[in-house]
Amino acid sequence: MRSVDYPGYARPLHSGAWWLWGLGLAAAASRTTNPVLCLLILAAAGFVVMARRSRAPWAYAFGAFLKLGLLIIAVRIVLQAVLSSQSQGIHVIVDLPEIPLPAWAAGLKLGGLITWEAVLTAFSQGLQLATIICCVGAVNALASAQRLLRSVPGALYEVGVAAVVALTFAPQLVSDAVRVRSAQRLRGYDGGGLAGLRRTAMPVLEGALGRSVELAAAMDSRGYGRTTDVAVGARRFTAALVFTGVLGVAVGMYGLLDASVTGWLGLPMLGVGCLLAAGGLVVGGRRTRRTRYRPDPWALPEWLVVTAGVGCAVMFFVVAARSPGAAVPAYPLDIPQVPVLALVGALVGALPAVLAPPTPDRSPESGAVGQAAAGASEELSS
Amino acid sequence: MTTAAQPPRDLVPLLRLRARSAVLLALVSLVGLAAYAWPFVVDPGAALDTSHSGDAPWFFVVLLPLLAAVVVAELSAGGMDAKAVALLGMLAAIGAALRALGPGAAGLEPSFIVIVLGGRVFGRGFGFVLGAVTLFAGAMITGGVGPWLPFQMFAAGWVGLFAGMLPQWRGRREIGLLAAYSIVAGLGYGMLINLWFWPFAAYAPEVTYVAGDSVVENLHRYAVFWATTSLGWDVPRGVLTAVAVVLAGTPLLSALRRTARRAHFGSPEEDAMTSAR
Repeated sequence: MRSVDYPGYARPLHSGAWWLWGLGLAAAASRTTNPVLCLLILAAAGFVVMARRSRAPWAYAFGAFLKLGLLIIAVRIVLQAVLSSQSQGIHVIVDLPEIPLPAWAAGLKLGGLITWEAVLTAFSQGLQLATIICCVGAVNALASAQRLLRSVPGALYEVGVAAVVALTFAPQLVSDAVRVRSAQRLRGYDGGGLAGLRRTAMPVLEGALGRSVELAAAMDSRGYGRTTDVAVGARRFTAALVFTGVLGVAVGMYGLLDASVTGWLGLPMLGVGCLLAAGGLVVGGRRTRRTRYRPDPWALPEWLVVTAGVGCAVMFFVVAARSPGAAVPAYPLDIPQVPVLALVGALVGALPAVLAPPTPDRSPESGAVGQAAAGASEELSS
Repeated sequence: MTTAAQPPRDLVPLLRLRARSAVLLALVSLVGLAAYAWPFVVDPGAALDTSHSGDAPWFFVVLLPLLAAVVVAELSAGGMDAKAVALLGMLAAIGAALRALGPGAAGLEPSFIVIVLGGRVFGRGFGFVLGAVTLFAGAMITGGVGPWLPFQMFAAGWVGLFAGMLPQWRGRREIGLLAAYSIVAGLGYGMLINLWFWPFAAYAPEVTYVAGDSVVENLHRYAVFWATTSLGWDVPRGVLTAVAVVLAGTPLLSALRRTARRAHFGSPEEDAMTSAR
C-alpha cells in the first residue's frame, strides 16, 4: 500500500470523490419525502462536513446552504398554505380573514383557512428539496474548486485556465479597490456618492485590464497554448463525433417530448448522443498534451468515500421500491415510518467522516497559495 | 479575407466564431432552450410527462453540464490564444468579484454589465464563453455550486452572445441600444432561470406546472408565478444594469477597446490591413 492509501494520512481528498459522494446523498434524498428520512440524510451530510472540512473560506458554505434550505421551506409553506385557494384538509389551524384578489391572479387567495395537512405537505416537500440542496452544499464546503479545475478534460483546457485566472484574481480585485480608495482619501477625495464609486471602479478596471495584457505576455513567453499537431483526419473525426452526438441529443430530446414517437428515438438515442459527445470531448482533448504538476492521487480513501455515497443511494432506492408508504407517506398527519434499511443507508452516508483522510493542519493562507501556484497563476509570481 | 467582410475597426472578435462552431452553438442552444421550456411543449403521455414520475426535471440537470462542456470546448478549440484566455479570466474575475460583493438582494446583479459590455466589444463567441465562465467562477468563489449552475451559465452565455450580435452603432445610439438591451436581458434572464425549478414545485395549484395541460394554461400559470415571485428581482436587475450602462458605459467601452488595441489582438497582416484603411 502507498502512503496515500492509508485513511490516517492527512491530505485533501480528491474533489471528484466528494462530488460523487454528495450526488449519491442527493439521489437518496430525491427518493423520499418522509421528513424523518430527509433529516437523517441531512444529519449525515452535516456530520461529515463538521468532521472533514478544511479552514479555507469556502468551508463555511454549508451554513449558507442550510439558511437557503430554511428559506425554501418557508416559501413553500407560505405559497402552498396561505395563497392556495383549494382546501387541502380538514384539520384547521386558523381561519384568517380572506382578501379577494383580481381575476388575473386566477383563483389565488390571500388568507382564509389554513390546515395542518397543507402546512405539513408543504413542509415535507420543502424539506426534501432543502436536503438535496444541502447535500450539494456539503460538497461545496468539502471540495476545493481549484483542485477540481485541475482535472478538467483536455478539451476544456483553455477555459479551465481562464477560470483559474478568474478565481485567483477575483479576491485580489477587492484589495485593489481598497488601495485605490485609500490613495484617493490621501488626495482629499471622500469616497462617497456615485462619483466616488466611479472614481474607484475605473482605476480598478483599468488595472485589471492592463494586468491581463501582462499576463498574456507572460503566458506566451512561457510557451502557453502550444498544441500538438493533430492530423486533419483526427480533427474531422472529433468534429464528426461532437456533431453526431449533439444531433443525437436533439433528436432524443424530441423523442422524449413527443408522445407519438416511441422506442429507440427517445432515451436510447439521447444516451447514444451523450456518449458520442463525451467521446468527442475526450478525443478533442488530445490536441493539448500536458504533464500535471503534483496530480491529486485517487487512492483507497477516494474509492471508500464514493462507495459510501453510492451505497447510501442504493439503499434508499431499495427502500422506495420495497416500502413506498415509508418513502413517500400518503397522508401527512400519519407518524412517518422509518425502515431499518434507511437508517443503515444514512449511517453509510455518514461514514466518510472517518473514512476520508483528515485535512492537513495548515493555515488557510499556505493552502491557498499552494493551489494558486499550481494553476496558471504560477507565471504571475515572477 | 475580403475587405468588405472586415469588421469595424473597434470591434475586435477575440474568439473567431467559425461556421462550424456557430452551427453547433445554435444546435446546443436549441437543446438548451428545450431544457428550460420543455414544460410548455411536452405531449401528454410522452416520456418526459411528469404525471408519470417527478424525475423529469432532474434529467436536464444532468444533461446540461455535458452540453455546456461540449459547446465551450468547441468554441475554444477554434484557437484561443493566451491573450484571449487572460482577458477572459480577468473579465470573469471582475464579474465574479462583483457577484460575490453584490449580495444578490433586490436582483442587484452588477456582473451583468461586464458580460454585456464584454460581449459587445469582443464579439459574440467570446460573449457566450464570458457569460458562462463568469457565472461559474462566481459560484466557485461563493460556494454556490448547485443544480442551478448549468442553467445560469447557459442563460448568462446567451446574454453575452446576443450582446455581441447587436447592430454596430456608435456614440449615443450605442449607449441607448445597450441600455435597452440590458433591461430586456435582465427580464429575460429571470424568466428563463425560474423555469428550471418551476416544474419541481408544488406551490399553490394556480401557479404550479400541470403536466399535460395546454400551453396557454401553463403559460398563464407561469406568468402569475413569475409576477408574484420573481418580478421584484428581475426588474431592478435590468434597470440597474441599464442605469450603469448609461452612467458609465462610455468610459467602460473605451477602456475595453483600448485594451484590445494595446494587446494587438489578431494576426499582424490583419493589423496592417486595418491600419491601412
